[in-house]
Amino acid sequence: MSVLTAGEVVARIKKNLGFPWRATTYRDTFKFGGPDTVVKGIATTMFCTYDAIRRASEQGCNMIIPHEDTYWNDRDDIEIVNRDPSYKLKTDFMRKHDIVVFRMHDHMHAQKPDFTYVGCARALGLESRYETAPQSHHFILPETTLGELAATFQKRIGDRAIRVVGDPKAKVKHVRLGVGYATPSINNPDIDVVVSGEQQESDGFLDSPAYVLDDTALGIPKGWIMLGHNVSEEQGMLEMAQWIKSFTPEVPVQLVRSGEPFWVPKSVSLDE
Amino acid sequence: MGPMHLISRRKFVALTATGVAVAPLTSMARTIGGGITAQEIVERIQKNIGIEGQSDTVAPFKAGDPKTIVRGIATTALPSLDVLGAAVKAGANMIVTCEPTFYSKADSPTPPVRRIPGMMAPNDAPSTPAPPDPVFTAKADFLKKHNLVVVRLADQWRQQKSDPFAQGLASVCGWSKFTAPADPSHLTIPETSLDALVSHVKKSLKCRGGMRIVGDPNLRIRKVAFLPGSTPIQAAIQTLPGVDVIIAGEVREWETVEYVRDTVALGGKKSLVLVGRIVSEDPGMQFCAQWLKKIVPEIASTWVPAGDPYWRPML
Repeated sequence: MSVLTAGEVVARIKKNLGFPWRATTYRDTFKFGGPDTVVKGIATTMFCTYDAIRRASEQGCNMIIPHEDTYWNDRDDIEIVNRDPSYKLKTDFMRKHDIVVFRMHDHMHAQKPDFTYVGCARALGLESRYETAPQSHHFILPETTLGELAATFQKRIGDRAIRVVGDPKAKVKHVRLGVGYATPSINNPDIDVVVSGEQQESDGFLDSPAYVLDDTALGIPKGWIMLGHNVSEEQGMLEMAQWIKSFTPEVPVQLVRSGEPFWVPKSVSLDE
Repeated sequence: MGPMHLISRRKFVALTATGVAVAPLTSMARTIGGGITAQEIVERIQKNIGIEGQSDTVAPFKAGDPKTIVRGIATTALPSLDVLGAAVKAGANMIVTCEPTFYSKADSPTPPVRRIPGMMAPNDAPSTPAPPDPVFTAKADFLKKHNLVVVRLADQWRQQKSDPFAQGLASVCGWSKFTAPADPSHLTIPETSLDALVSHVKKSLKCRGGMRIVGDPNLRIRKVAFLPGSTPIQAAIQTLPGVDVIIAGEVREWETVEYVRDTVALGGKKSLVLVGRIVSEDPGMQFCAQWLKKIVPEIASTWVPAGDPYWRPML
């Protein structure tokens, strides 16, 4: 029986991408362990949380392929975090359980199609027959209200901490899907609703909450739906797991969900 | 008209009811020769903050003529059209705001060039002017029609020794007496559960749908830290070990949210309450109105709450 190393898994990822590896990426690199680690099983996950690593390890997966960072900052700069007790506990666990972490972010978004969009559209029920062109991320839906749309998305994707700005009664049909922090601008006149993961609330390039509040005051039907970063991009890690499995038949490959991090207070009523 | 309109109208009524002081003070201002200009008020603000001569990373005037005679000041975390309407009704013609008026850091009355991630055509030069935008236009027209002067007071207000945003949050939560003597962002409150604390904060800050929490609802809480506004991971790393809960405005989810989630999963008795950036800045701007009354006693200063922009469907 031949032995599969993490380095060989990464080599197969690079070979199967369909475009050259971008060597300048600081994101898509080993975050713990290295190419020589022997892989017993592979788990994809959205955030490389301690809990996801632990569950993956319990299920026999010691190679973690997360979409996001491991050490709570995008560059995984350990200088920022290495004096914190959680850093030591997390890395101690990984060392003890022979974990290897290789992040797939920039190359995942560059893939055709980008699985983060595929997965999110699938989970939200945004069927391809509604999309103006393949991977346009622009969906023309039967007319509904912002309130109905948000409630439907919440039920389908199981999102506790969904946040919406705009008049719930606004009539909408043009939906533009974004994922993670790649949140499209809300002031596109062809778009009624932007759905995405996360975006800074104010003082950025185009502050959508403030813009939609003023749309609402002016009676312009617009909506902004934030699913949360984890919820919006986690779905596509299923497609990522299936893709990796297609060229690593020697080991089990599965999605281990990091899951939504939040809970919310009960009974949030619009009339409060 | 949606619930947001109802809320703002209710806010409106409350404001005009409490804003009775505006009329007499406005007439008093007329008795003072010439009145006070927006420029003079900005100079007085800078002098009283004690950072005179330092350049603000945010230039103060965003709309209107600095030479305008000011009849009344309205402070706010976010000058939305609803807030501006309420300010005008209250007799204010100068707005002192924490967040931008025109939906971006640039705060320009014309929209930025549209950016669609991954969809930018290679020849779509960033200098291509954006087409007119009805919302930008409506807001610029409203400001002009009512001769409003808008001043942004963000960095200078925030960088004071005793953080006024933390003081404001402590005050609306009824916790001023629990703040550390030299640092209003650190408090020791009577022991409670995270769940009870969340209910209290939600009620105190009038949160609608913007609240999100990480941590065990049964966690016992005594030590609280405020991180108002938007803060990076470094702030959380520095703060969390010394407290039971961080109550923050806005953080990056891949930073502070995941740091707290991991810390909890690794056995740390810690938690994070996110209330939203604007909600976290609202009380600090209420505090600003009270402060302005002292340094600009000639005219009325009124706080207009921006409120929680978010709602969420009920599962």
